[in-house]
Amino acid sequence: MATQILDGAEAMSIGGNEQERSLALAAQRGDSGAFRELYDAYRERIWTLVVYSIGDALQAQDVLQTVFLKAFRGLRSFRFQSSLFTWIYRIACNECRNYHRRRGIRHVPLEAILGSSDEMDRRPISDGLEARRVILRNAVIQLPFKMRDVIVLKYVEELSYEEMSRVLGCSPGTVASRLNRALAELEERLRPFRRFL
Amino acid sequence: MSCLRFGLRKKFVPYLEGELPPREAKRVEKHLLDCGRCRAIFGRLRAGHRSAQQLRHLSPDGAHPAPEFETMMADVGEIVPVRHKWVRAWEDWFYALTTPRLVQVLMVLVLALTAVLVVSNRRYLFGDRNSGLDKSTALKFSEFHPLSIPELQSNTRPHIAIEGYVRDVHIDQEEGTLHFTLAEIPQGLGPFVICEIMSPIGMPIPRDGNRVRVYGVARYDAQPGREWYEVNPVLNIAVLKR
Repeated sequence: MATQILDGAEAMSIGGNEQERSLALAAQRGDSGAFRELYDAYRERIWTLVVYSIGDALQAQDVLQTVFLKAFRGLRSFRFQSSLFTWIYRIACNECRNYHRRRGIRHVPLEAILGSSDEMDRRPISDGLEARRVILRNAVIQLPFKMRDVIVLKYVEELSYEEMSRVLGCSPGTVASRLNRALAELEERLRPFRRFL
Repeated sequence: MSCLRFGLRKKFVPYLEGELPPREAKRVEKHLLDCGRCRAIFGRLRAGHRSAQQLRHLSPDGAHPAPEFETMMADVGEIVPVRHKWVRAWEDWFYALTTPRLVQVLMVLVLALTAVLVVSNRRYLFGDRNSGLDKSTALKFSEFHPLSIPELQSNTRPHIAIEGYVRDVHIDQEEGTLHFTLAEIPQGLGPFVICEIMSPIGMPIPRDGNRVRVYGVARYDAQPGREWYEVNPVLNIAVLKR
């Protein structure tokens, strides 16, 4: 199956802060149509984060549902001190973290999922892009969740350091340090599969 | 030798993305030329950065796109909170009142009111050490008749200012009043007058041996066993230099 190329920012933008604000205000008053519009605008980006974090699409659907339910119920107390997307993103990060805390973080080596690099050599892979996706996705999923969040926010959502610091609730300096550690860890995990990337 | 340029290492990824100003980029390059350890770290970051950049073009799970709104809400049922108009109005009013600016204004008003109350009641709270006189009275020290202790026998004026040496300062535990003897000479027998301070708070309390001027109301205690002259109540005390 061909993979889609995401262009989240263009496809999902609502069209400025004013429109987002008016939709959020309407949703605060209980307008489910406005909430639906907000969901349609943000779902792909939140879905990407959740899938990378959880690893399993069916479980990710449950987590996504929880995220948007909490967002809807908490919308009344949202005071527009940050963008709505940042706020929902924080809820998603926290929910993914809660999911892993409830289930326990399973440290499964990448080779156990993909097989050793020799086995991969022998395996027919008809779609190179699919192989790359699987390797990269699983490498990211295997990262500790703090490192995983910063990789997804930086390289999938393309947020700035300032925006990441607001989502993650830490300083830009901490984000930079965490990103460095995440990239080093990612490289370490991908090294045996370098020739497939 | 270990390198401690942790702050510079945080700039490696922005450098890779070309986001550093030229001057900062040159600093990074110069340091990488000089530091083998940072070069190794930079190499790993560059490899990880190139791998991570591919994430932009790959969806996490091509077989499972994000669920539609109806699918997402399928198991939830009614999610729209039922809020009556008056509940919404009350909540809007409450949140309007708790805006940061309004909270700041209220805090300033509370502090100002507290300051006014403290200043107007400072005598009761802290005691006015400068004068034991109630400033609301019309009496002034200049109206107090100065005299010596022996002259008390012939005194007819009520308000007097009398000087002497302090002895035997003590508190009457039952009445809560402070008493001391004011004597003409510092030691030995001689003319004296008993001074009573009814409200010691705010009054400078003399010590044994101090030479003081006492302002107050002259009395004579004719009770058997007493029969002495008093300054009661003492309205003010001024400690004199010897």
